Amino acid sequence: MNDKVMIKLVGLHKSFDELEVLKGIDLEVHEGEVISVIGASGSGKSTMLRCINFLEKKNKGDIYIDSKLIKKSSHDINTLRAKVGMVFQTFNLFPHKTVLKNVMIGPSVIKKADKIKAKEKAMELLRNVGLEEKADVYPAMLSGGQQQRVAIARAMAMDPQVLLFDEPTSALDPELVGEVLQVIDELAKSGMTMVIVTHEMGFAREVSDRVVFLHEGKIEEIGTPTEIFENPKSERLQSFIASIW
Amino acid sequence: MEHIVEILNSIGDFFAVVFKFAPKFDQAIVYTLELSVFSILLGTVIGLVVTSLKLTKLKWLQKIADVYISIVRGTPLLLQLYFIFYGLPLIGLNFDALTSAIIGLAFHNGAYISEIFRGAIVSIHYGQDEAARALGMTKIQAFFHVILPQAVKQSVPVLGNQFIIAIKDSSLASVITITEITLTARQFSAATYNPFPILFVAGVYYYIMITLLTKLLQWVERRLSVNER
Ligand SMILES: Nc1ncnc2c1ncn2[C@@H]1O[C@H](COP(=O)(O)OP(=O)(O)OP(=O)(O)O)[C@@H](O)[C@H]1O
Ligand SMILES: [Mg+2]
Repeated sequence: MNDKVMIKLVGLHKSFDELEVLKGIDLEVHEGEVISVIGASGSGKSTMLRCINFLEKKNKGDIYIDSKLIKKSSHDINTLRAKVGMVFQTFNLFPHKTVLKNVMIGPSVIKKADKIKAKEKAMELLRNVGLEEKADVYPAMLSGGQQQRVAIARAMAMDPQVLLFDEPTSALDPELVGEVLQVIDELAKSGMTMVIVTHEMGFAREVSDRVVFLHEGKIEEIGTPTEIFENPKSERLQSFIASIW
Repeated sequence: MEHIVEILNSIGDFFAVVFKFAPKFDQAIVYTLELSVFSILLGTVIGLVVTSLKLTKLKWLQKIADVYISIVRGTPLLLQLYFIFYGLPLIGLNFDALTSAIIGLAFHNGAYISEIFRGAIVSIHYGQDEAARALGMTKIQAFFHVILPQAVKQSVPVLGNQFIIAIKDSSLASVITITEITLTARQFSAATYNPFPILFVAGVYYYIMITLLTKLLQWVERRLSVNER
């Protein structure tokens, strides 16, 4: 981690019709930092993550990626998305493409990358997530854990500066959670900047530099894992932590 | 015994007529194939265009597509063909019978095909579009690389049904004087006062065409479904 600010959210607001979900989020994520986001269901964790790469349109506030203010133009947004990878709870692999093609599709379509180089790189990424031998298989033939690892490789293929994870292991059978967390852990060690929404408190505690506790659309508390899990200050965090252990 | 001989005789007569007239359908088959192939191809193009209109954000384009689809679905094909053949000349649009029929059938198929495509496109889970957009794809890239291939694949069985219906519907072109299989059969029947063997021949020709198309579609479907284990 260093001093460079990779993501900066300033006064982020988001409503769905009458329902105000984000009520002013301010957050700075530094380069190489791993941030976990925890909070009760409905507190706005996914919405915050999705606002960062404009899958949801914020109502108010500013988003800076790598010190650049992102405007609402589609050019800005597409450029931003290429720099900010996202991994979904439900993987969302492309079922009509092989594993290898899933990983190559970003660079080939968006960056018009050279086929051979894109393939080499995709194979390397698949090796990193332990799925080299599944390159020519279709997603339907993979377990959930394998699919999620492919999804991580697919996101990495764009050389993102940041990766966003929305509950990457929530849709998995318990015995498959470990293999995905291990891949994320390796990414953390390699210095990847990441924001991870998770219910895996043990993992959040281990992998994060800081933990954000979201409550009803606001950051109720933010701090190191030790601060958040061992010395929670606010009552809400205290009761949240009591409720999950 | 005599009875059996009689039956064998009449079966013999039946097939004598069948084999005599079967080769005389050559031009009729060409017409039916022309009507079917062009109305399917043109109908598919119209279907894609109309689907795109419906997917645009422009309300008035959507409206045009809706009106078109509701007219086609809300009126009999027979009337649509009459309208094009007898009605359009009244506003100065003259087409020969074959062109009229192809336009009419394509216009008709296009509406159904567009609904098939649209249904398939909206059935693709929104997570697919989100995943593509999250990688940085534009709307158009996501549509062509991620949504459309899955939608086309999904729509093949239903599309195949529509193509089969299109072959059968081509028989309606007989009402606007095209001597395709059905009208040819009717003419031969009238000339010989012996309709059954001739209608039998017509039926066999339709059956062969549709069976071949079905086989082709099954092959395409198999090719496309490799990725579902
Ligand atoms: N597209 C949407 N339209 C309307 N309301 C929405 C939409 N997306 C989310 N919401 C609402 O916004 C609130 C916050 O949702 P969000 O998904 O961000 O919560 P979360 O913290 O991720 O919860 P969970 O832990 O269950 O995933 C919820 O009340 C939810 O119902
Ligand atoms: Mg969520």
